[in-house]
Amino acid sequence: MNMQQAIKMTAAETALVDAYTAQIGDLPGDGAVLSLRDTLVHELKTAGLPTRRVESWHYTDLRTLLRAVPSADPSAFADRVDPIVAGSTVLSVRNGEADLKSLPEGITSRSYTESLLDGSAAAGLAVLGSDDAIGRINGGLVRGGLEIAVGEGVELEAPLEIQVAQSHGQAHTRFPVSFGAGSKATVLERHLSTNGDASFVSSVSDVTLAEGADVIWIILQQQGPADTHLGQIRFVLGKNAKLHVFVINAGGRLVRQELHGRASGEGADLTLRGINLLGGESHTDVTFTLSHDVPHTTSSEIIRNVVFDRAKGVFQGKILVAQDAQKTDAKMSCNTLLLSDDADFSAKPELEIFADDVQCGHGATVIDIDHTQLFYLLSRGIPEKKARAMLVNAFVAEIVEELEDDEALVEALEGVISAWLEKHA
Amino acid sequence: MPAVQETIDQVRQIDVDQYKYGFETTIEMDKAPKGLSEDIIRLISEKKNEPEWMLEWRLEAYRRWLTMDEPSWARVRYPKIDFNEIHYYAAPKGTTGPKSLDEVDPELLKVYEKLGIPLKEQEILAGVEKTKIAVDAVFDSVSVVTTFKEELKKAGVIFMSISEAMREHPDLVRKYLGTVVPQSDNFYATLNSAVFTDGSFVYVPKGVRCPMELSTYFRINERNTGQFERTLIIADEGAYVSYLEGCTAPQRDENQLHAAVVELIALDDAEIKYSTVQNWYPGDKHGKGGIYNFVTKRGDCRGKNSKISWTQVETGSAITWKYPSCILRGDGSRGEFYSIAVSNGHQQVDSGTKMIHLGKNTSSRIISKGIAAGVSDNTYRGQVSAHRKAENARNFTQCDSLLIGDKCGAHTVPYIEAKNSTAQFEHEATTSKISEDQLFYCLQRGIPEEQAIALIVNGFVKEVIQELPMEFAVEAQKLIGISLEGSVG
Repeated sequence: MNMQQAIKMTAAETALVDAYTAQIGDLPGDGAVLSLRDTLVHELKTAGLPTRRVESWHYTDLRTLLRAVPSADPSAFADRVDPIVAGSTVLSVRNGEADLKSLPEGITSRSYTESLLDGSAAAGLAVLGSDDAIGRINGGLVRGGLEIAVGEGVELEAPLEIQVAQSHGQAHTRFPVSFGAGSKATVLERHLSTNGDASFVSSVSDVTLAEGADVIWIILQQQGPADTHLGQIRFVLGKNAKLHVFVINAGGRLVRQELHGRASGEGADLTLRGINLLGGESHTDVTFTLSHDVPHTTSSEIIRNVVFDRAKGVFQGKILVAQDAQKTDAKMSCNTLLLSDDADFSAKPELEIFADDVQCGHGATVIDIDHTQLFYLLSRGIPEKKARAMLVNAFVAEIVEELEDDEALVEALEGVISAWLEKHA
Repeated sequence: MPAVQETIDQVRQIDVDQYKYGFETTIEMDKAPKGLSEDIIRLISEKKNEPEWMLEWRLEAYRRWLTMDEPSWARVRYPKIDFNEIHYYAAPKGTTGPKSLDEVDPELLKVYEKLGIPLKEQEILAGVEKTKIAVDAVFDSVSVVTTFKEELKKAGVIFMSISEAMREHPDLVRKYLGTVVPQSDNFYATLNSAVFTDGSFVYVPKGVRCPMELSTYFRINERNTGQFERTLIIADEGAYVSYLEGCTAPQRDENQLHAAVVELIALDDAEIKYSTVQNWYPGDKHGKGGIYNFVTKRGDCRGKNSKISWTQVETGSAITWKYPSCILRGDGSRGEFYSIAVSNGHQQVDSGTKMIHLGKNTSSRIISKGIAAGVSDNTYRGQVSAHRKAENARNFTQCDSLLIGDKCGAHTVPYIEAKNSTAQFEHEATTSKISEDQLFYCLQRGIPEEQAIALIVNGFVKEVIQELPMEFAVEAQKLIGISLEGSVG
């Protein structure tokens, strides 16, 4: 007797709703968790996936772009692979189940499945807004993940690699991670697939930094060429907390990586660096919002995009400065190299400012390789193909080098970039 | 630097309260009944002696409009407009205003004085009765109109109201009307297509450089036609025209909703320069009343190497929703957009431009300066896109915002879309308050704070002011000065 006519569901929407129906009773959680899941899936059913008419999805019409969703298969995880930085602590997540091997001292961790089962996960399952399609899909279908707490004052020596490896099917994971006051850590959130079969992955990380925490969080997305990756990281920065988020997209067919943060404590500082290596027929969208809520916070964002073939890239960045947030210093830039006539890039760097004593700016460029630079290399006898590769590499590698404190990490990330460029350029 | 209370007071006083008296007059007019229907459209068309095709065109737009929804994406808030509470036709006769300048708000006159507007013109602007005569007097005494009309005629330039043009040059109007902003373009443009009452028509023939700046000032317009204005400007091959719209003095206007459409067409090697100064009633200090300005302005660089340049100084209106755009269709064509938007009180500005690169070797340049004070919101919203075939498209965008006071907002929403690898787009935006360093430098050189602020702000907007035709530039500079007067303690 529902008076409101539901939309005609697309194949992908039907598949997602079916996946939920098929797993009822099997997905962890009851009570509040279950009723929340029901609500989220019901919203998906009635409102559908977002279209370009939804402002935050303007350049990524998920409803049109997401044509098919592979059915869920509990056995569709892949074996763990070696960590990207040798010596890292690896926490691999298989089909939502985390292997909780021995962790370094000062870290506590438990399976997110347990939080779903005991209901403590319910509070964090809510969507961020009516346009939060990733939160909705993930909240409805999440099976597990990891809950990690880094203790007060703990300084991790080796990076922590959270590894989600998938061979096909679906994976919906969540990672609530808290960093205690004064803690220091490097976390690698790595998503990869081990073959060319299509998989559908959604992942939400919920990161909080207490006073003075200093964290490097790297999202390394290396899905297969047929995969859909819907990632989201939410973060809240406490007083004098320092977060350096580094996103590298080097795979996937349809990718949306959202980053939503709040600088909630005075002296908080966010650095966002992004490298999007786009090729083939892929569509990759990085959407970022940061709210400067209190005075004296700073942020700096640099996104570098390299677009080959028929790939399409999107960057949306929005910096919001609340009325109280005087003395905010925020700078955002987005630079794109379009390397093919069929490539396509759209950028929407937004500023929304309500405080007057601030310094905010953004810049965006879309260019081809600089001909004078190319000429310089050619005149030095370097063949054109190699010269181009060098310039492209320099364009993106520049921002990896900012992580100079950790040589092994820089080397590993540069390795990922070079390997990708060699394959595509 | 947060503005001092006094600033806020003073700015408020200057920009808002000056209208207090200007709006007390009651108007008797030959009005069509409220509301919109096909009959009303037939009435408008009939009153204007329009050809049959024009009526059909209007009706078609009206039918489309009925199926459309009011846009909600802009960053403006206002109570819902009841489109059936509006008179869509009002005969220009029978208005009653103040009997003489003595009845006009002295504050308003002070502003006129500061702007250096001649007495007679003040009367026109303040809506003093027998305006028509006054206008004649002003212009006839110096024979401005006659001289201008003759000179334009000699050059072959057609400059008249669009209703007149529809009767005298129906082929031209029919050929170009609605070709840049189609009837069903957007909600407000469609409404305008159905009910527009008047506006300007300009045609500059091949190879003619229009001998003077054309201005709505000089065309003795029927009063009260501003609500749904429609302007159509065509520059034929190799022609050049510069058109000025509006004026710097605060203008009285009884109509709350303005939905104008401006279409510019530049053929091969032609150039159109369109300058606007808009200073309509912004509403009172509580944000009540004021003009809702929903304008669709678009230029089509249809020919090779054509150029269209928009320059605007926006200081008035409660709500401004305006995106003068350029479609760069012809190879080698160029589009420019220079804008100053000052918002104060409860004003909301959502303005910007679109540069749509379709042809090869097209270039565009956007310079936007937003100044927000009071509790206003000032948004720049712009789109730059290069089509797959737009080889070597080139854009430079700079949008800077200045905030005065801690209750206002400045926002920047650019959309940058490149579909061609040879496209080269650069966009930069900054938001800040007046630099303490600059201010300190001026102060320690003995420049009073108020002058220093004016100096810095004028420096901030200089790039745009420079683009205005001489006479406008001087007035605009004064206008900005007045708006910011007293912004320091």
